[in-house]
Amino acid sequence: MKILLILIFSSLLLIASSANQHQVKILEKIFSEISIGKDIKIWSDNQDILIGLTNNQNFSTTQNSKDANVIILKDATSIDKITENQTVFVLEYKLLSTVKKSFGALFWKKGRPNIVIVEPRIKMQSIEITKELEPYLEEKIW
Amino acid sequence: MVRKKELFLFLLLLLLAIFFIYVYGYVKQTKEEIFTRVEQNKILNIKYYFQNIENEIIKSNDINDSSSLVYLLSDKDTRKKYEKNLALLITPGIKYIYILAKDEKERFRFLLDASRTDKAHFYQKFDVKDEKYKEVYRVASPQIIRQKNMENLSLTYLYPIKVNGEVIALLSVDITTRIEIVISSLIEPLETFFVILIIFVFLLILMTSVQVFHYFITRKKIFTDPLTELFNRNYLQEIAPMINLEKYSVAMLDLDRFKVINDTYGHKTGDFVLAQSSQILKKSTRDSDIVIRYGGEEFLLFIYNREEDKQESATAICERIRKNISEYTFNYEKEEIKMQVSIGLHENPSLEKNLNEAIKIADKMLYIAKNRGRNRVVTYNEKLKNSTESKTKDINFVKLALEEERVVCHYQPIYNHADKKIFKYEALVRLIAKDGEVIFPAHFLPELKHTNVHYKLTQRILLNVFEEFENRENSVSINVNFSDLINADIENSIISALTSNPDLASRITFEILESDEITDITLFKQKIELLHSLGAKVSIDDFGSGYSNFRTILDIEANYLKIDGSLIKNIDKNEKDFKVVKSIIHFAKEANMKTIAEFVHSKEVYDKLLQLDLDYMQGYYIAKPSASLLNEKELFA
Repeated sequence: MKILLILIFSSLLLIASSANQHQVKILEKIFSEISIGKDIKIWSDNQDILIGLTNNQNFSTTQNSKDANVIILKDATSIDKITENQTVFVLEYKLLSTVKKSFGALFWKKGRPNIVIVEPRIKMQSIEITKELEPYLEEKIW
Repeated sequence: MVRKKELFLFLLLLLLAIFFIYVYGYVKQTKEEIFTRVEQNKILNIKYYFQNIENEIIKSNDINDSSSLVYLLSDKDTRKKYEKNLALLITPGIKYIYILAKDEKERFRFLLDASRTDKAHFYQKFDVKDEKYKEVYRVASPQIIRQKNMENLSLTYLYPIKVNGEVIALLSVDITTRIEIVISSLIEPLETFFVILIIFVFLLILMTSVQVFHYFITRKKIFTDPLTELFNRNYLQEIAPMINLEKYSVAMLDLDRFKVINDTYGHKTGDFVLAQSSQILKKSTRDSDIVIRYGGEEFLLFIYNREEDKQESATAICERIRKNISEYTFNYEKEEIKMQVSIGLHENPSLEKNLNEAIKIADKMLYIAKNRGRNRVVTYNEKLKNSTESKTKDINFVKLALEEERVVCHYQPIYNHADKKIFKYEALVRLIAKDGEVIFPAHFLPELKHTNVHYKLTQRILLNVFEEFENRENSVSINVNFSDLINADIENSIISALTSNPDLASRITFEILESDEITDITLFKQKIELLHSLGAKVSIDDFGSGYSNFRTILDIEANYLKIDGSLIKNIDKNEKDFKVVKSIIHFAKEANMKTIAEFVHSKEVYDKLLQLDLDYMQGYYIAKPSASLLNEKELFA
């Protein structure tokens, strides 16, 4: 019985980590396609994502939100961690509305990954994106 | 030969495994079919409903292109109205229902979302990768996307909203895997049951395979004699019920005087000779023949009678074995040893009741081969059956003959050619049948071997001879073998008769067969000493036909040495036999023994023997055995 429970628990962990890995891969892709005019140093309120993003050649991560220049926000409760000079990327569509300075979002809609890059905000924050991200540009948040 | 039980079990399990795998596959296939049917049914219902919605939206609102639809649904109340209608379709199996339309950049956007969870905003971009979304626009017909790696979604159904045949938007429904989960959960115990059953059966197959494998590994050990590397009696027991006697001839083989090898050179040499002889035996037979070590130096041979190989008869194979063994010189630790084999063959064992009977007959033939001087093949056939076997008397015949006093002795003179007088007589047993026919020992003695009747018969012969010669002056020889000598009753009869009549004792000679049966030399010597002490004489019978243990013969201080008939019968033609006999005579003189030549059947043999320093002669040329004692005048008749 104990072995069975361990197996079930391990399987669930594996599924969860698989979903996280997918998300991390997309994020890696997004952040390798953008430029904020300096080396990207990421902090996230989601530890799994933060750990997943370490050891990337295009950017670095930090455990201290103050040291980061890019914040990946999962939860609205972490909004107070954001400082003035930081660039924000959110993991919920509605957070785009909540966090006015967030320039883009990666979220799951109807079980499918969706990316939104808000064009006016990247222009305002002098964030450059490659052609790869252009299909995801939105004029406004609907 | 694999045991039938294991093979049957193995095949049964394999069949069961195949059956269970088939049933398991069938259950899986059925499950998939149920899924497909449920899916088709669901899609059909959705399709009808979507058609209604499409009509409702297009016709009621006078929609003529994509932008008018976008405009219509940009109104929150209108959206709510249609969302409410569409939401009627939402069930535990249908998760999301929404309307998508392409924008000017060919990106899909939500126009309406009737889903209860994960609701999208109006005109929110929807990133879809599957080409089927674009295909709906291209082909203007519904499309199905089978979802993989998408949590809880099994398929997406895309229905085009058309105006004048042109697709302006699409209705999309995401169907969950819920029904599949329910069906799976219902079927899963059945699948698990079959999986466990299949695993169990495969484990059993594995175990049976291991057992069969182990059987094959140990089979060789169980059925092979380690010394000769031939099959042993276990193998005979294994094949006996299965062997088809119509396809085989049966032969019994026995190495002649093998015991002498053991006694003279030791058991290691004996084992060596046995192993080598077995190899010769194996090489002299074919792959289709079966050679079994039956006993110590006894072998059983099944000769396969191939239809296509009629030229090589069983007799020819036996003859080849005999020849190969007799021609081979066994070299062991500087000793050169010759060996011979006697073979009894039954060419048609299927005529017998069973294998045991066939073996028994082959054994009888072997006995006859031994009696006829060894190193020969005796074949059992119809002729032999009529001439010999039909006359063969069983043990009950002998018992009855003993009870009815039909046991007699015939006497053959042993002739002293120097003084032309009968030196003594040899007593030879005969049974008289009820019809008066005289039955010779060859027809009843083999049946009595090692039986109590044999001892009783010996006792009767002794009594007959003692009675016959008690009041005569003639001397007589009586044949006894080692097993007779160690029989207490026989020993008592001899002691009793000879102690009471020393004169008789001085005229009695016990002719002892120099036999392989002498297993205990010390005991043998003791018994011979007893005969000497009683005043009787001792003669060694059939000397020179096999491997004589000279040391034992010298030790027992025999009075006479009877040279084997096989050396005498052709002495006039065979110079080698002449030389051997000459040497034996020389040896006998040195050992202070008188020599007797038996089987003197012709004048030529008689004349040839006269050239040797022989003491006595015996044979049909001089006189045949007779019920009465012949005198000199009746000789050479």
